[in-house]
Amino acid sequence: MSLSKRIMVVDDEEMICEALRGWLEKDGFRVDVTFSGQEALKRTEDSFFDIYLVDVKMPGMNGMELLTRLKEVQPEAIIIMMTAHGSIETAVEAMKRGAMDYLCKPFDPDELSLLMGRVMAHKALQEENIALKEQLVESHEGFFDVFIIHSDPMRNIFSTIDEVAKSSAPILITGETGVGKDMVARAIHLRSERSCGPFVAVNCGSVSESLLESELFGHEKGAFTGAIKARRGRLEMASNGTLFMDEVGEISPRMQVSLLRSLEDKSLVRVGGSKSIQSDFRLISATHRDLPALIREKQFREDFYYRINVITINIPPLRERQDDIPVLADHFLKRYTEETGKRLEGFTQRAISLLCSYSWPGNIRELRNVVERAVVIARGRMIGAEELTFLNPCADVASFGPITLEELELNHIRATLDSCNGNMVRASKQLGIDRSTLMRKMKRYNLFRT
Amino acid sequence: MARKRPSAPSEECHVNLIPLGKVDSLAVSIVAANLHTVLGLNADALPPIGNPDFAFLPLRNQYSAGKIIKMLETVNGSAKFKIGIVQCDLCTPILKFVFGESQLGGQAAVISLHRLWHGDPSRTYLRAAKIGIHEAVHLLGIGHCRAADCLMDGSLSTEKLDAIPLRFCRACQYEVSRRLRHAFGGPEELGT
Ligand SMILES: [Zn+2]
Ligand SMILES: [Zn+2]
Repeated sequence: MSLSKRIMVVDDEEMICEALRGWLEKDGFRVDVTFSGQEALKRTEDSFFDIYLVDVKMPGMNGMELLTRLKEVQPEAIIIMMTAHGSIETAVEAMKRGAMDYLCKPFDPDELSLLMGRVMAHKALQEENIALKEQLVESHEGFFDVFIIHSDPMRNIFSTIDEVAKSSAPILITGETGVGKDMVARAIHLRSERSCGPFVAVNCGSVSESLLESELFGHEKGAFTGAIKARRGRLEMASNGTLFMDEVGEISPRMQVSLLRSLEDKSLVRVGGSKSIQSDFRLISATHRDLPALIREKQFREDFYYRINVITINIPPLRERQDDIPVLADHFLKRYTEETGKRLEGFTQRAISLLCSYSWPGNIRELRNVVERAVVIARGRMIGAEELTFLNPCADVASFGPITLEELELNHIRATLDSCNGNMVRASKQLGIDRSTLMRKMKRYNLFRT
Repeated sequence: MARKRPSAPSEECHVNLIPLGKVDSLAVSIVAANLHTVLGLNADALPPIGNPDFAFLPLRNQYSAGKIIKMLETVNGSAKFKIGIVQCDLCTPILKFVFGESQLGGQAAVISLHRLWHGDPSRTYLRAAKIGIHEAVHLLGIGHCRAADCLMDGSLSTEKLDAIPLRFCRACQYEVSRRLRHAFGGPEELGT
């Protein structure tokens, strides 16, 4: 996370600047050095820095003056003053003028680490809201949903994201449909050093194999009928950024071999092409399927699995983190009452317990749809159990006697299709899967024209 | 952990360990052995060269880590990386002392046994091995890490050094393996 933070060191002693640069670069910062206050101010006109380390005593404009000027142009800047001859008065004066801290050179190694830790925590607080909430909610409706964290499992996932974002190790995100795997992938990208690069997503389950191949690798003009001009593939577009392969369990073993080769060499060859093109991207894959089981069934290659699965993040289904359900439901309620202008105060106790006892096969996406629908049909000031009757609590399952997972899925799809009057777009939305997946399942269960 | 690449000739030397002045030779051998077992790097100890008097800073009564690294760059060695080992106390212009120092993604580093000393010599040696590995990983271009129990922690006190196992977090381990492969080639199974 700290990799993208820019620090400017201002000190007239070159040796100090270089030593600080060395240390800070190892700590993951991007470092610029300048040897005078005037030069530092000039640099801020066209570049942005998050943090300044400023020597108090310098010829020309001294550090205190620079501190004051910097705070005028960039009030949120974090400024740390340094001096070789510390005095309490200058320290107090520096803090009064808005410095975050005051250090005496040379520093204790621990002191510098602790200080930078504090600085990063401060920055993270400043930015948590801006970066993760505003920017993302704007750019991607629903981004925030997955980050309504209340339960321990989600908190753990959050700290894992922070931990793994900075490396370029491939990550596999597992979890059921609708838990927000794509959002976690986006969050990792945004917290990584590649955040300035592209985030390129591809859903491997939604297209045929041949189409997926040209989607991933691109093609040269004339590679196949219909290839009227050359096209870059997703692997190429993701260079210097992150490639997110959703539904990676749907990739055929043959295609896995080509991908494996590309991942090993960080290069690719377009379909119908011969020249090798370099592309350096970080791979994040996601699946709702049990890949080890697919490996046993020889439908998934073990070598490919180990290549994409250096770090695993498992997002638990909603039913396993019931603590999050009321919080999420409130969040969606607020969103939809704002959108519709309806006055609703909340959920009744019975409604909440109904929400918590339901199994949520479509996870967050399904919960969102359910709340949206309840808001539309609600008549009173509260959403009650009456507005949630279509939920069919999973307790009923037991009364049917033992049934297989497939039968359960079949029943649920059939019920959803009924409630949507056979409208597949609406049904797939409610089920939290895409339309082609729904079609595949309907074909499998022979649900067409029933 | 990275293992030795089967295809790489075992004689290829990756690291020259260079004692400056009088240095406990057992410590040097143990650092070399650990560079091999943990990182898969072949490390050869060169014969000791003279005391680092050129790096002495009278005002601080310590030795400049930066100056020693600059000098090590000029040493004729057989390996890509050169790691100096000294007995004297090291510092940098900004830090009161350092256990070791290295160029990020460069070729030279230095470690000091001075502050790693413990009444139990095996503890001293283990500390030296950890610092040696830490600095070698910097030479691979890898910076500090905030994960718990990772050798690439940026603020290693002797207590912390003793508490941390001889290993990296998963993210660092991945980067280490990847960069080792990049630096020295050879097919190697990664990622476990
Ligand atoms: Zn270090
Ligand atoms: Zn680490």
